Amino acid sequence: MAKITENTREEVAAIVRDFFAEECEVDKSRIDDTTNIIKDLDGDSLMFLELIEIFKKKYNLDIELKVIGKYAVKHPVTTIGQLIDMQMLIIEHENRLLDLDNKN
Amino acid sequence: MPREVVVTGMGMITSLGLSLEENWKNLCEGKSGVTRITSFDVSECVTRIAARVPENFEELSRKYIRKRAAGQMTRVARMCVTSAKMAVEDAAIDFDKVDRSRCCVIIGVVNTGNSSVEQGTTLQNTVFKSMSNSMPAWISLEYQLTGPSFAVNTACASSAYALSLGLEMIRTGQADVALVGGADSIINPEEIRGFNALYALSTANEVPEQASKPFSKDRDGFVIGEGSGMLVLEEKSNALLRGAKIYAEVAGYALTSEGYNIMAPLTDGEGMARTMHLAIKNAGLAPENIDYINAHGTSTELNDRYETMAIKKIFGERAYRIPVSSSKSMIGHTIGAAGAVEAIITALALDRGVIPPTINYRCPDPDLDLDYVPNVSRQATIRCALSNSFGFGGHNATIVLKK
Repeated sequence: MAKITENTREEVAAIVRDFFAEECEVDKSRIDDTTNIIKDLDGDSLMFLELIEIFKKKYNLDIELKVIGKYAVKHPVTTIGQLIDMQMLIIEHENRLLDLDNKN
Repeated sequence: MPREVVVTGMGMITSLGLSLEENWKNLCEGKSGVTRITSFDVSECVTRIAARVPENFEELSRKYIRKRAAGQMTRVARMCVTSAKMAVEDAAIDFDKVDRSRCCVIIGVVNTGNSSVEQGTTLQNTVFKSMSNSMPAWISLEYQLTGPSFAVNTACASSAYALSLGLEMIRTGQADVALVGGADSIINPEEIRGFNALYALSTANEVPEQASKPFSKDRDGFVIGEGSGMLVLEEKSNALLRGAKIYAEVAGYALTSEGYNIMAPLTDGEGMARTMHLAIKNAGLAPENIDYINAHGTSTELNDRYETMAIKKIFGERAYRIPVSSSKSMIGHTIGAAGAVEAIITALALDRGVIPPTINYRCPDPDLDLDYVPNVSRQATIRCALSNSFGFGGHNATIVLKK
């Protein structure tokens, strides 16, 4: 399990914003938590998968894509802020991500 | 009366240039795009030459294709989409003013370009780069076109088939606009070795620009080319209403198969002759209306012999007075793109009254005695012209273009 520190969210947010700025060829200053990934950035669902691969390597995560898929069906992501929040949950809970729904 | 179909926009990328005008200038000047292959190790290949698209193509493609999409396309798909966008620009068509559900996209695809020389393939984009329907899909996506969109594969006749099917879609009222064409590259070691094993390629490596010599006695096989060609076809009255420039009318076509051999054309050009005959008939014309033939003219022993025989069968004594030229002498054989690229050249010949030559014609073959427009382009008034495409597997197409 990756160690979450005070800086982790900022670190994740920076990676996410850099990634979308690079891939979608937009200025980073145009991307904030409310930015809509498809409507504002012309992004696509594959980008989400590519980001997961990046975070898996960076934080040495034990997470299966199907777990994320099941979670995302119930908690759809449309904005950059929601995407960062979900990445934080993935880093924190890894393959136990679905337990969050069971607890609720 | 069937609806008439016209060409209102064209885009092409070949070894001779990255725009319609650059290509046309170089074709009329009789230049060759064939060079030594330096993009990969050719030590295992007997043939070491090809007609490769200039390196600065990638710079051009970045003007037309978003980075994200570009990374999911092969270089060949980028050529296709770039040519499509140049054709749409040339047609000055505004899709916001057209019913997008009546716009179709038909692309001749033989190879997607996802070969050993393709760069930047990742697990995430492997499938997109390998999908043979990716090129029509990307074009439909780009303009949000919702009419029929598909790929057709009939080897070297593929994009001539695409053009013919686009004509038919508009003729029969199933579409008002058709974006048709093709893109291809087989400049990679595995394809070269494969074609070398069939003795299909020229091995005249010493002087690359003289290697492709259609209809010459010393022809020794085709030279691989690469590139893309895209055309915007429109129903004629719609094109006239919006004041579009009309390059040519697509007057007719024929698609046939020979049912004979996976590689060799039917003996004495019987299949080729039947295709030209049916195309002229489909256009409602007679052989005496044809003033120019853009030949398939591959520079192989059998194609050039049989195509010459087929032309004589159809046109009789008049065959000797019809200019016949092979663009492959300059740009090589662009395989899946050839039908569209050569239809574009034929349309420009009609529009501008100039016939591009067959270059490297220095050693006449006594059996091949037509007017091959040797080495130098020629001014001519052309009323109607044929563009021939004949593919491995016996897939034949002839397109009839009219001024």
